[in-house]
Amino acid sequence: MEKVIETQELSLNYGDFNALSNVNLPIYRNKVTALIGPSGCGKSTFLRCLNRMNDLIDNVKVDGIIRFNGEPVQGVGVDVIELRKKVGMVFQKPNPFPMSIFDNVAYGPRQQGIKDKATLKGIVEKALKQAALYNEVKDRMTESATRLSGGQQQRLCIARALAMEPEVLLMDEPTSALDPMATQRIEELIEELKKDYTIVIVTHSMQQAARISDNTAFFLLGEIIEFGQTSEIFANPRDKRTEDYITGRFG
Amino acid sequence: MVKRKVRLSEILLNSSVFLSTTLSALALGLIFFYVIREGTTLLNWELFTGNYHSRNYIAEFQDEQLQNYDMPDLSKVENVYPVDRFGIVLQEDIDLAGNGVVRVYYVHPDSPFNKMISKEVGTEEVDLDVGMIFQRISYVNHPTSLSRGGAQKFATELSDPQREVYELFFSDLGGGIKGSIITTIYLIFMTLIIAVPFGVLTAIYFNEFAPSNWITKTMRSFIETLTGVPSIIYGLLGITVFVPLTVRFTPAVNSNLIAGALTLSVIILPTIIRTTEESLRVVPDDHRAASLALGANKTQTTFKVVLPQASPGIITATFLGIGRVIGESAALIFVLGAAIKDTVNIYEPSTSLAVHIWSMMTDEPANIALSSTIAILILAIVLVINLSVKIGVKLLTRKGM
Ligand SMILES: Nc1ncnc2c1ncn2[C@@H]1O[C@H](COP(=O)(O)OP(=O)(O)OP(=O)(O)O)[C@@H](O)[C@H]1O
Ligand SMILES: [Mg+2]
Repeated sequence: MEKVIETQELSLNYGDFNALSNVNLPIYRNKVTALIGPSGCGKSTFLRCLNRMNDLIDNVKVDGIIRFNGEPVQGVGVDVIELRKKVGMVFQKPNPFPMSIFDNVAYGPRQQGIKDKATLKGIVEKALKQAALYNEVKDRMTESATRLSGGQQQRLCIARALAMEPEVLLMDEPTSALDPMATQRIEELIEELKKDYTIVIVTHSMQQAARISDNTAFFLLGEIIEFGQTSEIFANPRDKRTEDYITGRFG
Repeated sequence: MVKRKVRLSEILLNSSVFLSTTLSALALGLIFFYVIREGTTLLNWELFTGNYHSRNYIAEFQDEQLQNYDMPDLSKVENVYPVDRFGIVLQEDIDLAGNGVVRVYYVHPDSPFNKMISKEVGTEEVDLDVGMIFQRISYVNHPTSLSRGGAQKFATELSDPQREVYELFFSDLGGGIKGSIITTIYLIFMTLIIAVPFGVLTAIYFNEFAPSNWITKTMRSFIETLTGVPSIIYGLLGITVFVPLTVRFTPAVNSNLIAGALTLSVIILPTIIRTTEESLRVVPDDHRAASLALGANKTQTTFKVVLPQASPGIITATFLGIGRVIGESAALIFVLGAAIKDTVNIYEPSTSLAVHIWSMMTDEPANIALSSTIAILILAIVLVINLSVKIGVKLLTRKGM
């Protein structure tokens, strides 16, 4: 199996606070990797390392190695913009821009200098279809995105990320703000997207992790306690703490 | 015991709340009432479009065979005094600024007043038009008579067959505030063109780009302080910096409109920076993060995602600025001057509406009526601005922007 992303002895400090220590994790191509663990264990922090969104936070110090397609992600010489084009992100709370539906999806490509109307239209339609939103919005492309429902907004955000044609999609609790129906649609979508993309998803729902992921990493206090195939982890956790967590006896 | 104390203080609090509200409402109401009562008599379209300085004419009266002129019916008009001998009717009236004048109410086409020779241009004939002002009449063998005596005195003198008119000094109606309105409009546009881009970009720097260290913190609180500085101090800055600067680099020779606009820009800059910053601050960080995560750079994120969302705040800031420009007087007296002009030149002194009020009030005697009329105009403009801000912001927010 091909590794798209790999971290080796990754540590991260927020000032004096150690949020990640010695994290070694492979992310395999066209697989869904779920990150689970109690609140505050560093899942989001880890996710943000992969597209360098931690750069936005002051006083962050990252040690260790992160590789994306074999190339280092950390370091001053790395083209962060190029990295973020290849490693897209979907946030916990749906955050469409207060623009039209079309403009939201076209935003990324436009910033890369694509101006041609027909090209943009093609990109937007493709992304919306991939995000299973096209049929719902095809007649209201110029409407403000903020008028969509929460679930639609989240799928729009996925479409917006897909419009950049990334290789990896990072999703930080993408369904935690949604109702069960909307959650189910996103889960189906992730299942579908797996064919073309590599997905890393943070989730607090054990069922969700079990349903949609191929591999699971269990985080605790900034360390990876256990990583392996999801079926394996849920059926026979090797570590007592993993077992406690997935059976709900823990934090 | 304790319970009763609390109640008493509550009653006191409630009644003082009620009292303060009533007093404030009363005070504000009184201002409006006073201004409107004093100002409406002069409220007149001609005031807004008319010149302040009247054009004067001196003309020589020609010997003319007098005839009998048919005169208009005056039974329904007050304060009019016909002079049948010359075919004119004079009226006791006020000019645009409310000063008493003798106006021409009617002049017969064949009246000798329509066949006078202008003294300035030589032999050219000048016409006396309805609405013009009689300033002075010189008679042959009789003392010269001034308009101070009123329309009736002029009419009586002119009707005297013994008197021969020799020369007439007359003028257009003056006292209009057209020039001050134009100056104010110039000031608004020039000030905003300077201050809004500077202010918005500074706010963007502080909120989006500046590292949060003690230097930026100090600068921020410095700007905060500047919003409270009395404008007369900015006037000093204007006269020591902007006036010499404009004199050096433009055709201006002393106070001028450009210096005025520059000074006003400095006055409104802190407000624009602060208001814009506040509206930038409420743009969710989520949107910045989303944009950056899509591979947009900082500049694209700031100008394509953040700034559009701050536009209601920027509009508010702009209109607050306009209000400040309209209301400013002290600083402008220094840098723009107090010379009332009918034609406005950006390199020359002129007056804004607020300074026009100041001029009218420092006249001897103070012209309260005209000042109040200008005040009504200013209040109306401010009202319109406030309403358009509300509507504009509402429209922008409804669009989802
Ligand atoms: N910007 C920051 N500055 C300082 N400390 C931070 C920052 N962001 C996160 N932390 C700390 O790092 C630790 C890990 O945070 P992180 O957000 O990665 O946790 P998480 O696993 O995503 O939790 P949750 O499930 O609640 O989202 C927490 O203790 C948190 O307080
Ligand atoms: Mg998190």
